[in-house]
Amino acid sequence: MARLQHAGRRAARQPLDRYRARQLFTQLIVLSLFVVLTVIAIYPMIWVVTNSLKSDVDLFEQTWAFPKEPRWQNYERAWQFGIGRYIINSVIVTAASVVGTAIISTMAAYALARYRFRGQTFLLFFILGGLMLAPQVTLIPLFRTLVKLGIYNTYLALILPYIAFGIPFSTFLIRAYVMGLPRELEEAAFIDGAGPWGVFLRVIVPLSRPVIASAMVIEAMRAWNEFMFALTFIESDKLRTLTIGISAFQSTLRAEYTVVMAGLAIAAIPMILVFLIAQGQLIRGLTAGSLKG
Amino acid sequence: MPGFEWTRFKRSLTPYMFLLPALVFMVVFIYQPIVQSFRYSLYKWSAFSASESWKYVGLDNYTRVIEDDIFYTSIVNNIWYAVISVAVQVCFGLVLAALLESQILPRLYNLVFRTALFLPSVLAVTIVGITWQLVYSPATGLINQLLEYAGLEAFKRTWLGEEGTAIFAIIGVSQWQWTGYIMILFVVAIQAIPHELYEAARIDGANGIQQFFHITVPGVRQTFLVMSTITVIGAFQVFDIVWVMTAGGPNHASETLGNYLYRVGFRNDEMGYASALATVMFLITFVLSFVQLRLGGGIQQQEAH
Repeated sequence: MARLQHAGRRAARQPLDRYRARQLFTQLIVLSLFVVLTVIAIYPMIWVVTNSLKSDVDLFEQTWAFPKEPRWQNYERAWQFGIGRYIINSVIVTAASVVGTAIISTMAAYALARYRFRGQTFLLFFILGGLMLAPQVTLIPLFRTLVKLGIYNTYLALILPYIAFGIPFSTFLIRAYVMGLPRELEEAAFIDGAGPWGVFLRVIVPLSRPVIASAMVIEAMRAWNEFMFALTFIESDKLRTLTIGISAFQSTLRAEYTVVMAGLAIAAIPMILVFLIAQGQLIRGLTAGSLKG
Repeated sequence: MPGFEWTRFKRSLTPYMFLLPALVFMVVFIYQPIVQSFRYSLYKWSAFSASESWKYVGLDNYTRVIEDDIFYTSIVNNIWYAVISVAVQVCFGLVLAALLESQILPRLYNLVFRTALFLPSVLAVTIVGITWQLVYSPATGLINQLLEYAGLEAFKRTWLGEEGTAIFAIIGVSQWQWTGYIMILFVVAIQAIPHELYEAARIDGANGIQQFFHITVPGVRQTFLVMSTITVIGAFQVFDIVWVMTAGGPNHASETLGNYLYRVGFRNDEMGYASALATVMFLITFVLSFVQLRLGGGIQQQEAH
C-alpha cells in the first residue's frame, strides 16, 4: 500500500517538474525584459546625475565611471544662473492656476451634477468640448488677446490660459464624482436652512476632497510642465518658468555639459519628489479620466 | 405673491451662477481665440501690426498650404509619430501591463518596475529633451559611446543632425517617456476585469497567450481605443519635444505640424499663414476626436468608470 502510494506520487511529480521548469523559464524571460526596460528608463537619468559631478574632460573620457571626487562646483555654477528664480516663478504660476482651476471647476461640476436647468446639455458639451481643442490652434489669437488685455509678459499671461485649459478635464472628473455622492446630506443641509452656497461649501466641497485632490495634482503636473504658452507669452528672463528657463540656461552654457547636467538634476528634483509623494492621487486621477499630457 | 416669484426666479439662476466663471474663462481663452483663428487665416499680417494694415487675401493662405513641401514633410512626420506611438506605447504598453498583471513575477518586483517605467512621464519636456540631446550627442553621448564599446562603430550617427535619423530619434524619446505611462493605465484597466474569467480559462486549460487574446484584449478594448485615439491626436499636435531637440531641423527634416506652425508664426512672423496651418490642425484633431467619440470613448462611456 505504502509502496503503491509512493509510485503514484513519483509519476505525478514528473510532469509537475516540467511544468515548474517551464514556469521558471517564462519568469526568467519576463524578468529580464523588465530589467532591461527599467535600465533604459532610468539609466539616462542616472547618467546625467553621475556626470553632473564630473569635469568636462572626465565626461568625455570616462562617461561610465562614477565621479572620482564629486565636483559640487557644477551645482553651484548652475544655481548661479538663476534656476532658483525659475523655480519660484513655476511655483507661483502652478499654485495660482491649480487653485483657480480647482475652485472654478468644482463650482461648475456642482451645477452640472446637481441642478436641472435650461441649456444644461449644451453647457456640459460646451465645457467638455474644450478637451477636443488643441492649444496650438489658440496660440496666435491668444497671444493677441493677452497683449490687448495688457497682461502679455506677466504671470497672468500663463495663469489665466492654464486655468481655462484645465477646466474641462477637472470639471469632467469632479462632476462624475459628485454625481455618485449620496444626496441625503445636501437635503439635510437645505432643511437646516442652508442656501446653495452653504451646501456647496459645507457639504459638496468637503465630500469631494479626494477627487479635487486628484484633479489638483494632475493640473499641477500640467502647469508645471507646460512649454508652448510659457515659451510664447513670457518674454523677460525674470518671469520665465522652469521649463523655459532650463532651455535658456542650456543655450547659454552650450559647451559646459556637466554644468548643464547639474541644472537638469536640480530642475528634475521637485517633480520626482512630488511624484513619489502624490503617486496615488496622480494615478487615480489619470485613470479616471484617461488623460495624456 | 410677487416675492415668491422673485425667489423662484433667483433660485433658477443658481446653476448659471455656479457655471459663470468656467464659461467666461472658456469663452475668452479657448473659444474666442479659435473663432478668431479662422478669421486671421484670411489675412496677411504680422504680430505687432495694427489691424488696419492687415491685407485681406481670401483663401490664399490655404492654397499656399497645399503647395508647401514643408507642410507635407511635417504631415509625414506626424504620421510616423502616430504609427510608431500606437505600436510602441499602446500595443507594447498593453503587453507589458498584461505581463505585470499575469502575476508571473512577485508583487514587489511589479511595484518597482511600474514606478521605474512611469517615472520618465513626470519629467518636464525640456529636461527630457536636453537629457536626450546629451545622450544622442555625437562625441560625448551615451549611444555612440555604447556603440563604440560594443564594436559597432559603423552604426555611429549624428542622431539629431542627420536628415534621415532626426525625426526618429525624437520619436524614440517620446516612446521612452510615455510607454510606462500608458502601461499603468492598462494595468488599472486589466485589474477591472473580473478574476473569475481568468480562473475559468485556466481550468479550461488556456495558456497565458490564449488568456491574453481571449480575455485581456476584449476586456480592455475600450481603454485600448481611447488610448489609441488620444495617442494619435497627441502625435498630430506634438510641438514641445521637437522644438527643444531640433526645432525641426536639419533642413526641416524633423518638422512637425505644430513645430512648423510655431516657426511660421513666431519666427518668420507670417501670422496669417500660421493661422491657416492652425485651421488645418484644428480640422485634423476635430475629426480624430469625433472618431474617438464614435468609437465609444465618449463622455457617457468614460463615466461608467
